[in-house]
Amino acid sequence: MSEARDLATAAGSPDPKVGLRAVVALRRLLETLEILQVTNARKRGWSWQEIADALQVSKQAVHKKHGRRDV
Amino acid sequence: MFERFTDRARQVPKAAQDQARQLGHGFIGTEHLLLALLALDGGIAHDVLIEAGASYARVRAGIQGVEHNQEDVLDDAEALESIGIDLNAVKAKLEEAFGPGVLDPPPPERRGWFGRRRRSPGVAFLHFTPRSKKVLELALREALALKHKHIGTEHLLLGLIREGEGLGLKILVEQGIDLKQLRDKTIAASKNA
Repeated sequence: MSEARDLATAAGSPDPKVGLRAVVALRRLLETLEILQVTNARKRGWSWQEIADALQVSKQAVHKKHGRRDV
Repeated sequence: MFERFTDRARQVPKAAQDQARQLGHGFIGTEHLLLALLALDGGIAHDVLIEAGASYARVRAGIQGVEHNQEDVLDDAEALESIGIDLNAVKAKLEEAFGPGVLDPPPPERRGWFGRRRRSPGVAFLHFTPRSKKVLELALREALALKHKHIGTEHLLLGLIREGEGLGLKILVEQGIDLKQLRDKTIAASKNA
């Protein structure tokens, strides 16, 4: 953990390796979060249109991305 | 296109696929073509490469070295902390709402272009990257330029050199191999053959 803190301090430096790695981690977190929230919304009976509106994307986009997972 | 390939050159795409599989890669890149040339039991490309100081083991280690560099220096939690996000705090919040373990579901299924399911390495036929396709095309052009009717491993190597940007070449350069010399020697050897 102290290692993480060192890295966090080091990240103030504009090292692209660290910065870009953070982008990747953030994207991964975003994807996981999106799946979690979309699944939850569907479970609660939200329509694809409602989910799309909330995510500010088209219904087609959200359906294409998450439709397969829908049960 | 493959009909003019010599028997040995014909083995290269297949051998490159085998090399990619062995490395657990889901595609055939220029680095796998290079490895395939080195893995052959002979051929002009093989001989010229060995003479120039390349070796199967070193190239393979080079490929794995690149992979290693791309591997995570930080894990996600550390990377997020570097921009002020505490993954553990996020996790705690989400687990509060959705139950334990919600942040570690299996990663989303990745899809290739046009929504095709990506095939997992080792099972299905692997695709050539645009660069390695280009290498195959350039091999044909190199053969034409040399007025050779066949396409041999030497032309594949010349194609690799001509393409100029693939990982295969980068590894050779990193290992101190002079590409200009390699090209000249390959052409010379193709004339003696």
